Amino acid sequence: MNPNFENIQIGAEFKGPSFEPTRQTIKDFCDASLDHNPLHLDDNYMEGSFGRTKFGGIIMHGMSHFSLMTRMLNDWLMPQGGVHKRLETRWLVPVKPGDTIQPTGRVKLKNQTTNSCFITIDIVMTNQKGEVVARGESMAEFPPSAA
Amino acid sequence: MATIQDQSLHLTETDFWKHQSIRKTWDQIVPGEPIETLPHTLGLEELQRLCRAVGDLNPLYFDEAYAKSTPHKGIVAPCYIHILLMFTCTPINYYMRAPGTINAGQSWSYNAHARPGDTITLHARALDKFIKKDRLFVIHDNVFFNQHGQVICSGRGWTIRPE
Repeated sequence: MNPNFENIQIGAEFKGPSFEPTRQTIKDFCDASLDHNPLHLDDNYMEGSFGRTKFGGIIMHGMSHFSLMTRMLNDWLMPQGGVHKRLETRWLVPVKPGDTIQPTGRVKLKNQTTNSCFITIDIVMTNQKGEVVARGESMAEFPPSAA
Repeated sequence: MATIQDQSLHLTETDFWKHQSIRKTWDQIVPGEPIETLPHTLGLEELQRLCRAVGDLNPLYFDEAYAKSTPHKGIVAPCYIHILLMFTCTPINYYMRAPGTINAGQSWSYNAHARPGDTITLHARALDKFIKKDRLFVIHDNVFFNQHGQVICSGRGWTIRPE
């Protein structure tokens, strides 16, 4: 068994860097992802309502959450030989320019299969008010060959 | 559906309103029907631009000498590269570009890293569509492959469609 897997404790917590989206960081993400949806660029458009949802201004890409969570996971996993294998996310509260968000990961499960070892990590993204704005669940592998 | 003659427009067009009339609406989307996709050769510059937009300066994505010293044997793309590939590998009329498309959640499984210079193809379709709490949902099924036919990653997305 990978000794790094043995050393991981259920309940262990780790954080990613906090991130303050601005109009510029959102525009940069549009340019880098080629996702120029007016949800992220057009204030006039965002004054309208979307069925049952009214945003009242531009919002950060959901995939910014996704990539910030991934960055946190890789920064924690790579030094200990863990391999990021899966991430599932749900966006709960829109994030806007001026907010500050930060992801936290918490090891939820450890499982051994015939060939390898896996951990499951719960992730929450919170804003400056302490609200949970996104949730994620990740799976990482600790392959025997990396031991 | 009209087709677009300029096959690189999807890489440069930033006005998502412009081709809205040729995109499928929720009513027209057929679950199970493959969508048209375009192969894309991943460039180092676009890979690193995405990393910078995330503030992710891991040397595995930037420093060839360092990356060569790791089991990866060279610079690789971060696994979230599918965020960009979803738009590089789909034509301008793909309904994911429809203004007001709201991303409700995604799950992705990772198999192999994409690398700069890889020619990447996408197999994609809508898998399901339904109405919940007066909102129009579509479930998307996406798999990216490299030029060796190896799966890079596979993902499922939930979007709320504009009416």
